[in-house]
Amino acid sequence: MSHHDVIVVGTGLAGLTAAVRLAEGGARVLVLAKGVGATHLGAGTVDVLGYAPERVERPAEALAALIDERPEHPYALVGAGGVTAAVDWFKARIAAGPLGPYQYVGGVDENLLLPTAVGVARPSAVVPETMAGGDLRAEAAICVVGFRALKDFHPTLAADTLGRQGVSARGLELDLAPEGRADANALAFARAFDDPAFRAEVSGQLLRRLGVEERAAFPAMLGHADPHRVWSELEERLGRPVFEVPTLPPSVPGMRVHASLRGELRRNGGRVILNTVVTGAEQSSGRVTELRTRVGLREERRGADWVVLATGGIASGGIELDSRWRARETALDLPVAGVPEAGEERFRPGYFDDHPMGRAGVAVDAELRPVDARGERLYENVLVAGASLAGAEPWREKSGDGLSLSTGYRAAELVLGASEPAGSAAGVAEG
Amino acid sequence: MLVIGGGATGAGVAWDAALRGFDVILIDRADLAEGTSGRFHGLLHSGGRYVVKDALAAEECVAENAILRRVIPDCIEDTGGLFVTTPDDDPAYGDRFLEGCRAAELPVEEIGVAEALRREPRLNSRIQRAFAVPDASIDAWKTVWSFARGASEHGARILPYHSAIALHREGHAVTGARVRNELTGEELDIEAGFTINAAGAWAAQIATMAGIEGVGVVPGKGIMIAMNHRLVNTVINRCTMPADGDILVPIRTVSVIGTTDIRSADPDELPVTQAEVDQMLDDGERLVPGFREARALRVWAGARPLFQDEKAEQVADTRDISRTHAVVDHRERDGVDGLLTMSGGKLTTLRLMAEDIVDAMCKQLGTERACQTRDVRPPGNEDGEGYSLGSRLRRREQTLQDEQLICECELIGRSRLEQAMRRRGSANLDDIRRSMRLGMGPCQGGFCIYRATGILHGVGRLDGAEAADSLSGFLQERWKGVWPILYGDQLRQARLDDWIFQGLLDVEHLPEAEEVA
Repeated sequence: MSHHDVIVVGTGLAGLTAAVRLAEGGARVLVLAKGVGATHLGAGTVDVLGYAPERVERPAEALAALIDERPEHPYALVGAGGVTAAVDWFKARIAAGPLGPYQYVGGVDENLLLPTAVGVARPSAVVPETMAGGDLRAEAAICVVGFRALKDFHPTLAADTLGRQGVSARGLELDLAPEGRADANALAFARAFDDPAFRAEVSGQLLRRLGVEERAAFPAMLGHADPHRVWSELEERLGRPVFEVPTLPPSVPGMRVHASLRGELRRNGGRVILNTVVTGAEQSSGRVTELRTRVGLREERRGADWVVLATGGIASGGIELDSRWRARETALDLPVAGVPEAGEERFRPGYFDDHPMGRAGVAVDAELRPVDARGERLYENVLVAGASLAGAEPWREKSGDGLSLSTGYRAAELVLGASEPAGSAAGVAEG
Repeated sequence: MLVIGGGATGAGVAWDAALRGFDVILIDRADLAEGTSGRFHGLLHSGGRYVVKDALAAEECVAENAILRRVIPDCIEDTGGLFVTTPDDDPAYGDRFLEGCRAAELPVEEIGVAEALRREPRLNSRIQRAFAVPDASIDAWKTVWSFARGASEHGARILPYHSAIALHREGHAVTGARVRNELTGEELDIEAGFTINAAGAWAAQIATMAGIEGVGVVPGKGIMIAMNHRLVNTVINRCTMPADGDILVPIRTVSVIGTTDIRSADPDELPVTQAEVDQMLDDGERLVPGFREARALRVWAGARPLFQDEKAEQVADTRDISRTHAVVDHRERDGVDGLLTMSGGKLTTLRLMAEDIVDAMCKQLGTERACQTRDVRPPGNEDGEGYSLGSRLRRREQTLQDEQLICECELIGRSRLEQAMRRRGSANLDDIRRSMRLGMGPCQGGFCIYRATGILHGVGRLDGAEAADSLSGFLQERWKGVWPILYGDQLRQARLDDWIFQGLLDVEHLPEAEEVA
């Protein structure tokens, strides 16, 4: 049986953030996960706080107000300062990672307004350099470029919606596709964009069709292996700002985050084992000593001094609800808070209503340790981060990435602070 | 003649009457088969359900089952059916059941429990008896569309989204209707020599427009839950007196458990309660252990048109009234000419119901025109072999490299989608869902609805504001069918869909139409 300083469960943004931060802090880290995590589903931006419930322009200020008003919100666990620290760390790690100089821009002081694939202006704090040019606070007209073979992005629909919000926009569609395929997803296109010949063809066809003042919007698939080069070369060839708009999953920008952090983890000596389901734990005197895992049909045990649980919420399978309305956290069977009692309403009939079940999750104390219904700490050496946490509605608030990043980062800091003499941990953290 | 109601009954009537050479206009306040017909479990009855309780209904089902298999084969999957005696049922009922089947000339065979379990391995292994019957599953949308298209090929005009707002009367006779186009708000008058009220659970409301009160059609609410898998490939019935939650129907890619029967005041208000959902799940558990762990996809309620009209029964010759459906003759009942109401009925007997009411119309009009629907195939049944679960996949494999797959769950390609948009003349995503099953699979539109919206917009069927409305409207309509059954994997799926529609696309903040300058 193996033994590690820390086992992180989950490879989404929270898990990878915690793992990289721990590994660079000197811990021996093992990441166990069932699959590649939710980075592949999202926009690839770090949305800190977009709605509270009105649209947020200055997230740092709005965060402070949110924490004041709703102390049960998971942002209260990290504080506005904790979010800033995590964001700065994340930007540095991505830029220094295997995809650098590809980098993230922006910060928690103000939100950018980026168009979605239906053309809605979505507030987002920290975004890939390849998306920043889409900020709708700037006035330049937009030409939304789509590809007939990509069904997950409809340029004229996005342009029409932008037009209805006072942005001068139009859409056009190119008939170019990797290997001439009729049906190709964003990842297939991203790989095609990595090829200079495909880029040359795209820019050749576009040059004739773009207006002088227009910036060019593309579906978020400008390069998988070397996005910085693809994007900057397109800007240069087209002679105008070029930016990406997130598409339906698979999310190419999300994959870049995943690849960057995995690279950073490897560089710092951490390991990832996928296809592993954590099914329970051995414990003794308030501490988890070993995790029980299942790989295919094989049962294994893995020991660790610390466990960071970042398995995600309901969408990721970290929390389940059965037909008798019993909720459970799937790895360690931690209690789930915020689940309405039997006979009470869990969801409401309007899709955009406030759903009672919407904020269910694992309740933790100020140091991210899971607690029971009375608020008593359950395990000394288990910390919970990311979408498993109770109290937020990440998609409606546009807060999910910020929460995962900052709580993952915070979990790592807590473990490093607890397991090393203060001076030594701080010293490693500088590295 | 005017047919009011575009469900199974109305479409059947339009087809029957058009074949007999009548000039037909059919109106429906919404889309075809959007009411009860589109909200049923999909069972083409063998008649077995009625053999003990209602011999006439059983005989009708036996005959109509055979006719429909002949005339609309492509709408039917020949799943076969089993009646099984669960540990909660009286095994002696099986003897009465067999007797009833023989009396109704329903081909039935008692098979051993081991054989039943070999055919359906998920079935409760503690069943005590099993009987094989020719049940099948039938695609209600395809059926209604097939009859409606057949009618229009014979000159009928089919007008969905046209509501009757008044029936015209001259003296004793109904002479047509004032109709509102629900899409444009425009109103028009339709003159008709005869009017058939095929509004099902809404029939009493229509009759009131002609000044006729008290037509006894009572809406009976039935809820059904579609499970994400074909938990069985044969229709499973409990071998007992018909009750709630005793049928499990494999149809297309899903299986549907049904149903309940609750009298309800208003056919437009059929809320699904938690207790009803739990009852269905428990009933499902009785037939297929582990049912509660399977994934529920969607729940809905339909309004059966239950016939309960003492006045009509008193005046009509009861030999002409089947207990399962009844033609209400308003000349005899109310002294009003030119109007007949169809009451009661079930999808399996839609053809017979149409034949009966058009016969009654001919009688009142004093004309003899023979019914032809026993033999003529309406369009959409060219294959003539029935469909199988794999038929879509087979068709799709031929164009795998050449065509975009828009709905992965239901295997709908882009060209078929664009064709349907043109043929339907509709840009409503929910209409397209019903005619193509778009968004009916496990992801409930999570991926294909954005795509379909973009395509509708791209081909110019929707402007930006309409596309936004259509997308938001679809999400709300979908939510209505999923929120009462959100647990397990389907809850997880719903959260993934939230991720897409709220997190990624931010549909909640689409600009509203009024905001446009």
